[in-house]
Amino acid sequence: MSGSGKEHIIKSYDDELIRLTGELVRMGELAVSQLEAAIDVVERRDERAAQHVVHNDDAIDQLEQEISHDVVRLLALRAPIAGDLRNVFAALRIAADIERIGDYAANVAKRSIPLSMAAPLTPTGGLAHLAELAAEEVREVLRAHRDRDAERALKVWHDDVELDEAYTAYFRELLTYMMEDPRVITPCTHLLFMAKNIERIGDHATNIAENVWYQVKGEPLTAPRDKRDLTSNPEPVKLGNRPD
Amino acid sequence: MNDLAAATAAPMTGAAAPAKIKVRDVHFYYNGYHALKGINMDIPEKQVTAIIGPSGCGKSTLLRIFNRIYAIYPKLEAQGNIELDGENILDPNYSMNRLRTKVGMVFQKPVPFPMTIFENVAYGIRHHEKLSRADMEIRVEQALRSAALWDEVKDKLKQSALGLSGGQQQRLCIARGIALRPEVLLLDEPTSALDPIATGRIEQLVEELKHEYTIVIVTHNMQQAARCSDRTAFMYLGELIEFDNTEKIFTKPGKKQTEDYITGRFG
Repeated sequence: MSGSGKEHIIKSYDDELIRLTGELVRMGELAVSQLEAAIDVVERRDERAAQHVVHNDDAIDQLEQEISHDVVRLLALRAPIAGDLRNVFAALRIAADIERIGDYAANVAKRSIPLSMAAPLTPTGGLAHLAELAAEEVREVLRAHRDRDAERALKVWHDDVELDEAYTAYFRELLTYMMEDPRVITPCTHLLFMAKNIERIGDHATNIAENVWYQVKGEPLTAPRDKRDLTSNPEPVKLGNRPD
Repeated sequence: MNDLAAATAAPMTGAAAPAKIKVRDVHFYYNGYHALKGINMDIPEKQVTAIIGPSGCGKSTLLRIFNRIYAIYPKLEAQGNIELDGENILDPNYSMNRLRTKVGMVFQKPVPFPMTIFENVAYGIRHHEKLSRADMEIRVEQALRSAALWDEVKDKLKQSALGLSGGQQQRLCIARGIALRPEVLLLDEPTSALDPIATGRIEQLVEELKHEYTIVIVTHNMQQAARCSDRTAFMYLGELIEFDNTEKIFTKPGKKQTEDYITGRFG
């Protein structure tokens, strides 16, 4: 259906648009499941399960291919306009973001393999917390997409700042471990990359939120977004502090 | 034989469904003018086949051969074979009455007869069958329901069909066509005289009717072919250039001429 909520005269057009939304939601759910599975294998130090997660990323890539195909088909055969055009256009962009989220989840699982080979000297609870925040962001923005709810998407867009702060805090925590004990530099470096991957998942959730906003409102979300990833701040002493 | 001729020598299909109509090396002449040049194609059963192409390419001519309507005009000649369920309909021994019950046709401009809505649908049935009044009423209602017109006319069946809107008149003509329970429905530019809403209704109707009938539609509107057909044939200067799945024709056509036409680069 179009943004107007009314059905098209040609019902198969509605079926195709509904199918597109369904594919996106399914793809998003798969990406979130991958992230949760990746964190699970980090905590269980399970190499085989980690490889399984890495392998499963193919399913997300396959769904992206299907969505791209459906979008091209819709553009060529239905010539969508107005709200329908925005839906189709947003679907293509959202699928690309979800595909990247899947890649980041697979990366986390991949790095868990060398991590599981090192002595369990460093706590991974902070990473799980980051993943929880990111997974909830992605779930929430997919609900916003499914329900065409711009305000819900806007809230996700603002709330990403929590993930940024948690990432900055975890970055600082890992630096402390490394300063205290050089033997943990290798596992902590892996954890840093994994944490950054999860922080990037949040950024892709905000991209999706921007697309939902455009889809519903027909205008881009141009306001500056508050960002609290301060890890690239040249003054390390301020790491983890909230900006004034 | 040029490459185009070679490409059209074998029947083009691209269809998984069995062929309802097999067109084999069909040529057509208007007063000696060679209008169709060796057409070979398989029209799939219970699917919608669209024929597109610029004016004068022969698409309507091809459609009109499928029910031999050309036969009512002098100096027109069709050569080759058109097999409907394996029988050559161009064979003079193939009964015209039988052909007309098997192949219905709807034209560009809706032409309701100057009689009631009920009689418009019943007229053709009476020509071919003798039904009781009760059976006729059932038959007319079925046809009007199939043409998605029943709800709009059920309370005014005794009123003149000339009072209907253009879109309703065209659906009435479709009802008249399917009242004879044909197997093939030919639509020649069925929406070119209609507004977008009426056009949408006809296209939705086509989508519903294809479960029961083999439909061939000639249209100038490429987007209409894209929206409502399963297969699309592109014709140019009396030749069949390409015939394939509609999705393929509109996303990755196999011939440059097809791509030039559908992207507006023709001429």
